[in-house]
Amino acid sequence: MNRFKISGNRSRSGRVRRSSQSSDAGGARGRIVRRKGQSGRKLGRPASSGYRTRLTGDAERVDSIPLVSVIIPVMNERRTIRRVIREAFAVHPSTEVIVVANGTRDGSSVIAKRAGARVIEYAEPLGHDVGRAVGAEAARGDVLLFIDGDMVIPALRLRPFVNAVLREGVDVALNDYSGPTAKPVVHSVVLAKHTLNAILQRPDLNGTSMTAVPHALSRTALTMVGVESLAVPPLAHAKAIQLGLRVKAVQRVNVGKLNPPRTERERIRPLEQVIVGDHLEALDWVISRGDDRCGFVDRTRKRHYAR
Amino acid sequence: MSSRRRVKRPETEETTAVLPIGCRVSAVVTVLNEEETLPLVLRELGKLPLEETIVVLNGCTDSSLSIARSFPQATVVHYTEKLGHDVGRSIGAKLTKSDIVLFVDGDIPIGADRLKRFIAAIAQGTDVALNDISPFLPLFRDWDEVTKMKAFLNLSLGRPDLRANSMTCVPHAMSRRAIERIGSGLLAVPPKAQAAAIEAGLHVRTAASVNVLQSNRLRQSNVGKDNEVSRLIIGDHIEALKYAMNAGGNRLTNEDSGRRRHVVMRRQL
Repeated sequence: MNRFKISGNRSRSGRVRRSSQSSDAGGARGRIVRRKGQSGRKLGRPASSGYRTRLTGDAERVDSIPLVSVIIPVMNERRTIRRVIREAFAVHPSTEVIVVANGTRDGSSVIAKRAGARVIEYAEPLGHDVGRAVGAEAARGDVLLFIDGDMVIPALRLRPFVNAVLREGVDVALNDYSGPTAKPVVHSVVLAKHTLNAILQRPDLNGTSMTAVPHALSRTALTMVGVESLAVPPLAHAKAIQLGLRVKAVQRVNVGKLNPPRTERERIRPLEQVIVGDHLEALDWVISRGDDRCGFVDRTRKRHYAR
Repeated sequence: MSSRRRVKRPETEETTAVLPIGCRVSAVVTVLNEEETLPLVLRELGKLPLEETIVVLNGCTDSSLSIARSFPQATVVHYTEKLGHDVGRSIGAKLTKSDIVLFVDGDIPIGADRLKRFIAAIAQGTDVALNDISPFLPLFRDWDEVTKMKAFLNLSLGRPDLRANSMTCVPHAMSRRAIERIGSGLLAVPPKAQAAAIEAGLHVRTAASVNVLQSNRLRQSNVGKDNEVSRLIIGDHIEALKYAMNAGGNRLTNEDSGRRRHVVMRRQL
């Protein structure tokens, strides 16, 4: 039933578990070397291919296991995808770029392959955010950065998300973007995000959410929330907070402005419904772990009088 | 409802609502130490053609009880202990058999002309007539968590048009049909009653705007951002959403049929 095919480089051993200790040490050494401008061995690949090897000491090419995996769901994003991938590779010297092309008919996946990305291809659209989960499942990095194929965000602005996970111990590095809120009535998605954070007792997160890109996850976060929940980002968001992961709004990228005017696919109202439904699903999960009030008690209320 | 007489809908805010003839109307007033405001509240209610005014006193240690008793038209229900939020409304609703029931609080005096609109809305066929607080709300970025919860509940129930208007807020009025369908017991958790009303297909809409945001009396329990009352109301809304999801599924009507989740599951096998 393999209706998808994977192209580009793939590690022979599949996912390799590294002890975080040793990988940190090795990774740090590797990074320092590169920062001094002595770029690591490129093994004959052009820099743009992105398959730079992580060097640990004097070992030979251990594997082409990247430190950072950038996941880009793509659906007919021919105009932007090349630039998006280029910026993704520039996020960190040890980066793999995974493009999950679904329902693409405009040649986006060919462009992505040429740009050096691993391309996971599906003939039909996967639906909202499923591509993220598919990409995350294939990712091998310690840090997973999620971006969109239709939005070119400079590497400079993507790095803080990766660095928050790599260096500051953040598990979920969110885009500090809460949508336009200086108005009396906000978009239903903005409302849903704010409400979920309030319920999760994280009003400080305002309207930030894993629904929005860019955001980065640690490998720990991915394991704990589960790959499949990434297909329902508010569910993953709620799980991350409830499971005690470090969730932090890192830097603001105004994706509202960057989002190009939507084509017919997204202008359809159901997108709003999908996201509102996602938030309800997240709430249902939170409730299932505790009580029907998520800990917001009404001790003083004598319900037995009310019949 | 005994009368089907149509009442002309007021054109502007200032038009006086015409009350129906033949409909039995009552008011439920909940009181917890409201001696300062209760006389004003009852005086305004006295201007309305009410069949009965049920005053539910609970935990009062001031002169609220004797004030209530001094109003001849008031039916006084007195509990020495505090019943907690909104329980009094449920008790009042249980006690009256009127066609239209108006719910007010003892701490917020509201002019009879304003109150009439809520009664008139029910007479016109509305089942739950809410107070439209939208004109008094700040920009969204300054909303408190309670207001967000209210708007999110309505959105989730497929009624974003109701914005942040809620049965948590007074004044509001209900038809007998609504009280019977929802059950008076549920009124002790107003957002739950609202969810039940919308889910049951009852006619829920706003009837008038009364600014109760300013006049709500400050008590020790409702001051500050993360106060006890705000936590209670947030919890009520979560409970209401869960109540709705029990019947309507964990996404309510917000489907994601285009999402092929099984693809992820299959890959993991």
